[in-house]
Amino acid sequence: MTGPFFDLAVAFASFFAGLLGALIGLGGGIIITPLLVLCFGIDIRYAMGAALCSVIATSSGAAAAYLRDGISNMRIGMFLCIATTIGAVCGALLAVVMNPSALAIIFGVALLATVLLSLKKKSEAPVEPEHSDPIAKSLRLPGEMPAAGKPVAYGVANVVPGFLVMWVAGVLSGLLGIGSGAFKVLAMDQIMRLPFKVTTATSNFMIGVTAAASVGIYLKKGYLDPALVAPVALGVLAGAFAGARLLPVAPVKLLRTIFLVAVSIIAVQMIARGLGISIG
Amino acid sequence: MVAGTLLAAAIIAAGLVWYLTAHSGELPGDHLFRGEPKYFENPVQMLRRTFEPGVAGERRSLVMIGIFLLLLNPLVRVFLAGVGYLMEGDRLYAVISAIVFAVLLGSFFW
Repeated sequence: MTGPFFDLAVAFASFFAGLLGALIGLGGGIIITPLLVLCFGIDIRYAMGAALCSVIATSSGAAAAYLRDGISNMRIGMFLCIATTIGAVCGALLAVVMNPSALAIIFGVALLATVLLSLKKKSEAPVEPEHSDPIAKSLRLPGEMPAAGKPVAYGVANVVPGFLVMWVAGVLSGLLGIGSGAFKVLAMDQIMRLPFKVTTATSNFMIGVTAAASVGIYLKKGYLDPALVAPVALGVLAGAFAGARLLPVAPVKLLRTIFLVAVSIIAVQMIARGLGISIG
Repeated sequence: MVAGTLLAAAIIAAGLVWYLTAHSGELPGDHLFRGEPKYFENPVQMLRRTFEPGVAGERRSLVMIGIFLLLLNPLVRVFLAGVGYLMEGDRLYAVISAIVFAVLLGSFFW
């Protein structure tokens, strides 16, 4: 495949990845990289660079909508961005010295972990504001979210463990060129015990900022090939927009089951690719 | 923000079409990793190269400018948030935003 047809195929695959990502609640980034590597035979480093750009694009679009709604907690987001951006820089610096095969293996493992995380959807009960972690209180992290009637106040627990898990999420983002939204949600939902809506909205803001911290390093190391970034970023962005529109009418449960299985298979193939075994 | 994203997307799309008109038949998205030209690091040089006549290879620069705009979005957002906190007199969060902004800048100008 050469020329425009190749780009068209890549853009179509990216659209599909963005659409699915929006529908099943995974980021487009973590789906598009394996597709580019396994189906299009693209070097994993170029694939990661393109995916990271698409992550920033979708986060910017989605976060704007959430900020308007007032659900996301900017103080929590900004505070945790210290952890994720530093983590992302560490991850990106690690990625540029790492062997591509090792990257493929780590990618596959992270993909499997993401699937497991999204299966375990049971949220902890949010903490009451007065039972917040003292550190959270001094940082004024607890907030309110809009609800029918009057705003609901919520507390924030376990600030230090949450901060540390956020650092790990940042490392993964920089290392693999993903948004690592699933890991950010893990930190905020399971550990800091924020309400789920606040978690997803805030993580959307953070994903873009985190990704921006590693993209400069990718750029310097030549991971961003404009000819690949363009169709991927545009495709994923369009797919994510379409997915958000389709969300209310799509059979989400069925799609989730089908695609979590598909993503698991892809993850195993990535690991096999990294180990130098070819299957399927 | 949405407008900025759409503008960036439009420039990338325009750049891609422009690039393809000169490069149809080539294999884009190189399958072999070989890095990218150094001048991609410098936006000013990129802008100059884009409008240099005759060098079809440099048409990629327009795509790169669009990508750059896209990447600028989070940076601008953190900066504006910091300014907002400063104006509210919230010094703690102005400092926190400044730290995040410094890490972002540091990663771009390593």
